[in-house]
Amino acid sequence: MSMIHVRINGSEVADDVPPRLSLADFLRERRNLTGTHLGCEHGVCGACTVLVDGEPARSCLMLAVACDDRSVETIEGFAGDPVVAALRRTFHERHALQCGYCTPAMLITARDLILRKRAGSEREIRDGLAGNICRCTGYTNIVTAIAEAAQEIGKEAPNAQ
Amino acid sequence: MPNDQYGIGASLLRKEDARHLHGRGQFVADIKLSDTMDVAFLRSPHAHARIRSVSVPPGARGRVFTAADLPRIKPIRITSQATGAKAPAWPPLATDKARYVGEAIAVCVAPSRGEAEDLANSVAVEFEVLDAVVDAPRDMRGSRHLIHEQWGDNLYIERVVEGGDIDAAARAAEVTVTRQFRMQRQSGAPLEGRAVLACRDHRLDEVVVYSSTQTPHTLRVALGEFLDMEARRIRVVAPDVGGGFGPKARLYPEEVILAALALELDYPVRWVEDRGEHLLSAAHTRDHHYKVTAYADRQGRILGVDAEIVVDAGAYGLWPQGPYQEAAMAARNLPGPYTIANYRARHYTVATNKAPLGPYRGVGRPGACFAIERIVDEVARAVGRDPVAVRAENMVRSEEMPFTTVGGMRLDNGDYRESVRLCAELLDLPAIRARQQLGEPDGRLIGIGFAAFAEQTAHGAAEFVARGASIIPGFESCTARILPDGSVVLMVGIQSHGQGLETTLSQITAHELGIDPARISVRHGDTESTAFGFGTFASRSMVMSGGAVARVSRLLRDKLCRIGAHLLQCDPAQVRCAEGAVLGPQGSVSIAEIARVAHLRMDGLPPGVDPLLDATATYEPAIGTGVFSYATHGAVVAVDPETGFIELLDFAVAEDCGTMVNPMIVEGQIRGGVVQGIGTALYEEIPYDETGQPLAGTLADYLMPGAAELPAIKIGHLHTPAAATEYGMKGMGEGGAVAPPAAIANAVRDALAALGAPVGAEVNETPITPRRVLAAIRQAQTAAMSV
Repeated sequence: MSMIHVRINGSEVADDVPPRLSLADFLRERRNLTGTHLGCEHGVCGACTVLVDGEPARSCLMLAVACDDRSVETIEGFAGDPVVAALRRTFHERHALQCGYCTPAMLITARDLILRKRAGSEREIRDGLAGNICRCTGYTNIVTAIAEAAQEIGKEAPNAQ
Repeated sequence: MPNDQYGIGASLLRKEDARHLHGRGQFVADIKLSDTMDVAFLRSPHAHARIRSVSVPPGARGRVFTAADLPRIKPIRITSQATGAKAPAWPPLATDKARYVGEAIAVCVAPSRGEAEDLANSVAVEFEVLDAVVDAPRDMRGSRHLIHEQWGDNLYIERVVEGGDIDAAARAAEVTVTRQFRMQRQSGAPLEGRAVLACRDHRLDEVVVYSSTQTPHTLRVALGEFLDMEARRIRVVAPDVGGGFGPKARLYPEEVILAALALELDYPVRWVEDRGEHLLSAAHTRDHHYKVTAYADRQGRILGVDAEIVVDAGAYGLWPQGPYQEAAMAARNLPGPYTIANYRARHYTVATNKAPLGPYRGVGRPGACFAIERIVDEVARAVGRDPVAVRAENMVRSEEMPFTTVGGMRLDNGDYRESVRLCAELLDLPAIRARQQLGEPDGRLIGIGFAAFAEQTAHGAAEFVARGASIIPGFESCTARILPDGSVVLMVGIQSHGQGLETTLSQITAHELGIDPARISVRHGDTESTAFGFGTFASRSMVMSGGAVARVSRLLRDKLCRIGAHLLQCDPAQVRCAEGAVLGPQGSVSIAEIARVAHLRMDGLPPGVDPLLDATATYEPAIGTGVFSYATHGAVVAVDPETGFIELLDFAVAEDCGTMVNPMIVEGQIRGGVVQGIGTALYEEIPYDETGQPLAGTLADYLMPGAAELPAIKIGHLHTPAAATEYGMKGMGEGGAVAPPAAIANAVRDALAALGAPVGAEVNETPITPRRVLAAIRQAQTAAMSV
């Protein structure tokens, strides 16, 4: 067992974890943050995407012990985040989710695309979603929802990072 | 129509969204019960092997269970009334023999999944490996090893569907076209795999089984049967389900085993399938072989079709319907939307040493559509005419409907030919033809292809009886309850896992009662709170459950009006329900006030009216053979003849599903289905090697369509309400997945027509991978040189 200190959604957490525990299982089983979903557990489907030190990461491929002294953001966080708020609204308005299983990770990936200014065209958004599988929607409405949120965020803060 | 802002026809935004957008959905693996232990299965690494012994290390006793340790479990048995159907018993944990890679042999329990897997690895099984049966057409009559020895062959069933006189059609034909088609085995692959959590509730004397299932009520029936328990002692809950698409509409051995474990042990047990297990052991799908001959006249009018269909159904049949429906539906649907008069389809359902075949969006029809729609294109090419025209000319005309096809499907209404025209318009067919003339600067070849189908939906008792089904999912139910404050709860027997039925069913009640859908809750997926129903599959829930909701809402509306009229001191005939109230000639009374009277102030009730606002109704459509949605799909592709790589440039659907309750959700279902169909067409495949080893064990081998590979999907609507259903609704959940393989294959054929002239290259096998494209080009060029 290894003691780790992780900042999760802004709160400091200390836990003693087995070395082979994945970040996803740590979040889900130990912290009860079940909005992070597991679709393949080998890094292809993207359903487990979270932010580690602000960067999207596959929590199924990452070990909890590798997150010692780092910060993790899950879908349960992002309180007051304007990009996630815009995405939640456009996903709802554009019917960009069906079963909802891929949705939390889609939002986190989409937020990253918008902030990195990689959501300027349909082509860019589609390429940016290459690592997130949705089995229900066929993506058309997800792409539209992200484009609308990106446009809205761009208008509000044209020089934002 | 009243209440249009949120009733029938409104694209009301979904009630389901908020919880998922905040990560607060509740899937089985998200449910926390204290002291839960995780479960891992020891599965057969061999496709076909006798089990000589299972050795559990001494330290693992009480934590590893074989069939002998769980004697209450009975073998899963399916029954079929179909003549000649063979139905093997399936022990949920293998006893003497394993018949596919992934079949469960023992179950291991530990505090975490990792430890449970360690335990499974510590168990030693001695196998006697047998030859595997993996080639269905070759081995169906028997092979050196039989999968189910007592049968004498490897055939679940063989049947013939026929009509007219196929031999006369053959004699009359001016053109004869024969092709072989193959649709490979694939997975349904919902993003959430299967999952089961089971525990005992001692207070209620029941076992509670949470399962990621589309069919909670029939799962309870099955658990009762195979655990020999009364249904009153079983509660099944399907919470949020992360996609189903058919594979979760069947009973699995794991569900029986987890329930049995919960009965044995003092703690809850949980099994969360990983993706490897899903690709190995959840229901597979498709795996069709076709040989089709079409007889036509010189104009391309198809006189007759002669088909042989072999479906490789794997080692067992899944409860309740067994392995039979895939081939039978393919055979009956192969004539499609056409007036073909003479038909014969011999169909065979074959047992092999592969995972069991189950339903997946489209069931049987994507293969049938692939076969007939490719043949229609080849007939058109053989007579030198445009496939679009030949396709439309062979279709049933509106004025001929209802029309029973030679396959026995009663097509109720619609304008099939118009869907072909509209689809060609959506893709701007003339512009594509012009572009083809110009050629591409990068050397790629452009092709356009179409495929049409009629989709049987919401079929009732007549259809399932005709199939010889042991269970007849011919109705749905709803209990509606207006609570003392006037808010409404609808309790329904279907299960919604992405279809948005929490939203659309409340639209129906909103329409009937004039209540804001925000004041309506829909409960589904829990056998404790809902009346019996069959669940969500077969494009049935909106029509069947929506019909039940309509009926029960009217029962409540009548009672609201009686009480309301009494309170308004007028005749019930003078009032109506609207705007959250009962409106009379001189004033109104709110539904909340009526509900208060019905529960808390019964002194306000009219004489002879009982308290409570609570009713249950069932519904079966007026026609048991189903109502038919239909569509034409069109694809535009660019094929690189050097690499075989296909880019999908455009895709359009021109469809008619009758009255749309929520057009936004209808379009979402279409697009989602289409992309699954594109997966079948281009990417998804679980190959098996000759020893019966599956070769796609991860999502790196099993490719599902991603956003980057796809165009936006265009949709055009036609509107022909059904006569036999509430509001004219038709089901439409599956159709999106039916035609893309055929449309894309026809587009690829169009693109490759010039290669290896005069015949051209064609790919008649899905998925249409670059390797298969290159092989087809080579074959056509070799053939051209030898001419």
